[in-house]
Amino acid sequence: MAAALPAVALLLGCCGAPLASGVQDQAEQFFRSGHTNNWAVLVCTSRFWFNYRHVANTLSVYRSVKRLGIPDSHIVLMLADDMACNPRNPKPATVFSHKNMELNVYGDDVEVDYRSYEVTVENFLRVLTGRIPPSTPRSKRLLSDDRSNILIYMTGHGGNGFLKFQDSEEITNVELADAFEQMWQKRRYNELLFIIDTCQGASMYERFYSPNIMALASSQVGEDSLSHQPDLGIGVHLMDRYTFYVLEFLEEIHPASQTNMNDLFQVCPKSLCVSTPGHRTDLFQRDPQNVLITDFFGSVRKVEITTETISLDRDLTVFENELPKDELATEPLKYADQLPVAQIIHQKPKQKDWHPPGGFILGLWALIIMVFFKTYGIKHMKHIF
Amino acid sequence: MAAPLVLVVLVAVTVRAALYRSSLAAFIAERVEVASPLNAWKRVVEGLALLDLGVSPYSGAIFHETPLIIYLFHFLIEYAELVFMITDVLTAVALYLAIQDYNKVVFKKQKLLIELDKYAPDVAELIRTPMEMHYIPLKVALFYLLNPYTVMSCVAKSTCAINNTVIAFFILATIKGSAFLSAVFLALATYQSLYPITLFAPALLYLLQRQFIPIKPKSKSFWLYTMQYAALYLCSLVVIICLSFFLLNSWDFIPSVYGFILSVPDLTPNIGLFWYFFAEMFEHFSLFFVCVFQINVFFYTIPLAVKLKEHPVFFMFVQLAIISIFKSYPTVGDVALYMAFLPVWSHLYRFLRNIFILSCVLIVCSLLFPVLWHLWIYAGSANSNFYYAITLTFNIGQVSRARQTRLHFEDCTGSGVLPATVNSAGCVWPIQSSIAASCLSCSS
Repeated sequence: MAAALPAVALLLGCCGAPLASGVQDQAEQFFRSGHTNNWAVLVCTSRFWFNYRHVANTLSVYRSVKRLGIPDSHIVLMLADDMACNPRNPKPATVFSHKNMELNVYGDDVEVDYRSYEVTVENFLRVLTGRIPPSTPRSKRLLSDDRSNILIYMTGHGGNGFLKFQDSEEITNVELADAFEQMWQKRRYNELLFIIDTCQGASMYERFYSPNIMALASSQVGEDSLSHQPDLGIGVHLMDRYTFYVLEFLEEIHPASQTNMNDLFQVCPKSLCVSTPGHRTDLFQRDPQNVLITDFFGSVRKVEITTETISLDRDLTVFENELPKDELATEPLKYADQLPVAQIIHQKPKQKDWHPPGGFILGLWALIIMVFFKTYGIKHMKHIF
Repeated sequence: MAAPLVLVVLVAVTVRAALYRSSLAAFIAERVEVASPLNAWKRVVEGLALLDLGVSPYSGAIFHETPLIIYLFHFLIEYAELVFMITDVLTAVALYLAIQDYNKVVFKKQKLLIELDKYAPDVAELIRTPMEMHYIPLKVALFYLLNPYTVMSCVAKSTCAINNTVIAFFILATIKGSAFLSAVFLALATYQSLYPITLFAPALLYLLQRQFIPIKPKSKSFWLYTMQYAALYLCSLVVIICLSFFLLNSWDFIPSVYGFILSVPDLTPNIGLFWYFFAEMFEHFSLFFVCVFQINVFFYTIPLAVKLKEHPVFFMFVQLAIISIFKSYPTVGDVALYMAFLPVWSHLYRFLRNIFILSCVLIVCSLLFPVLWHLWIYAGSANSNFYYAITLTFNIGQVSRARQTRLHFEDCTGSGVLPATVNSAGCVWPIQSSIAASCLSCSS
């Protein structure tokens, strides 16, 4: 908000009263989405030459995201294997995503942050939650804040509730949901778009419970996501269907597009994809209709340049509160409400000492006395008393 | 006899107190040979702490003690050291009184048999005299109190000491002849650690002998007495278990205690035989092997009852040995209990062939336990096989000792084939001297 406010102020001061309505419209646009910066975490979790398509998937999304404006410094690209320099690649230094070698997504300016054996569940979770060793370079960090919209794209081999990392470990949907919750509690994102292209991908987003997450998956639980087209020259499948059609869709997006998420949900119907893509929007506060594709895939700054002076309108707060009515009627979530910090700090749990119940003690001693007298006879009582 | 006993007790208490104050206490407390998941002191403290936090102590598979122990230590936790010293003393005193009484019974029988002229003339040297048997109870108390195993068990504050006390009281009650008390203490012992249920048979045999009831399946009084004793035992057991329910108002002590003992889920190495096997076993065999191993403990009761029905106290000793070897989480405290009985059969020692080797095996194994543990866990240059080898050797030593004792006990008392009366503990030859000859040769 802090970055947008001076721009708005400038705007309003400059336009003055006659342009107030136009300004208000434009000002409203500023508050449509609460984000000021965009990040992307693109993860390919598969090794080996025959998983070429996963690397191609990830690199294609990387390319689109860069084209739409997110810089390398804001992209964390994790590729588990190097297809471009793989000895089995007949065309070294290239990774193609269309058959007949139409589109080389590797290019000259690919910046891979986590490569090869560094793509592990631990590193992925550390990137997301920010709990990384101090020696990690900046390019390997997700330095998002509470005004960041993050796109997380994952592809590889998965199953019901898990995603396989490099054929040796797995991340479960519960772990992922907990990582996102950590991110929410640490205010590491404003909104999060999670896209997954694996078999049974929908199982990975069923456990999310943090707010402001929208999720898309290439297939439902019980379905496999299928690959698109093999290239006979290279000898492997080059892309997965879902990502292929998503990319076709994204190729038409430019930084000023007003296409919204509902269109993205329609990408790749069952006739084209064979599997049924799924999505989840119940945790998301805004209506997907109002969410622009470029809110996540691009790094679009709403900047208007004007040469006129603007005077600050003290009724600015009106704009902030006027959200479109069709949004989810939830109150804005405040950090303090989520963790009852005051309770935690000032109140220790009451140390209640446990005592054995009276009935037990009574019963036990009655038994002991009974045994004693049964053994030694009542006549000994007078020796005691 | 009281004065030497008091002296022994004082010495024992001093040794324990000295060890408590030294730095060895912490080292001993964490040794796996002394503290098993069933009776470690750390777990008792943990369980009581959980209780103070309002959580059931049985949640989390840490605490496997019975509710009566919770009750006991809830009030006595600050005096834990004192409690364990007192339990050791009580055990020793109980064993002392038991063996004293037992010796009287032995003498009476021996006198009876001498008068009835049932002994062959050449066994005169083996008739036991009051003089040599005078010191046996003291020796028993001494063996128990000053046994390094017992001392270590006490210093580690392992609740095995409490188990031993209950079993000692049970033995005392049995030898005194009180069926009611014996049933009550047996129920308590079973409640504490499940395996003493096998001591039902020797206790029953001893009590029947005391009542002069013949052990014949046809005899009605035999069945009557057996039913009475069994009823007493089962009722007390049921009462104790129901009472334990009322402590925490839940039954989850049953899977935590008895389920744990029977299903052996914790495979921390100890001096027993279970952990190594089950660490390597495939899942779908584990139920079968758990059953096999557990049956192994209970299995010897009936054959031994048939063989040793004339000598129930010896049977009890052998049964205790079998329990402490084959139970699922043995510790050296269990070994100490049956080792305390060895002086009672000291007259057999001259016939035990390999007594030197066996004692050496036991001592060397006891010394090697911490060495190989260190090599395995800390130095990393050994592995579990080494430790298990020592465990096996230790147990083989114990089994051999029990077997040798039993074998020679039997050889000396006749295997029951010949019509001879036998003293319940003495070494008496049957009338035929040919067997006497063979028995004399067994000293070679």
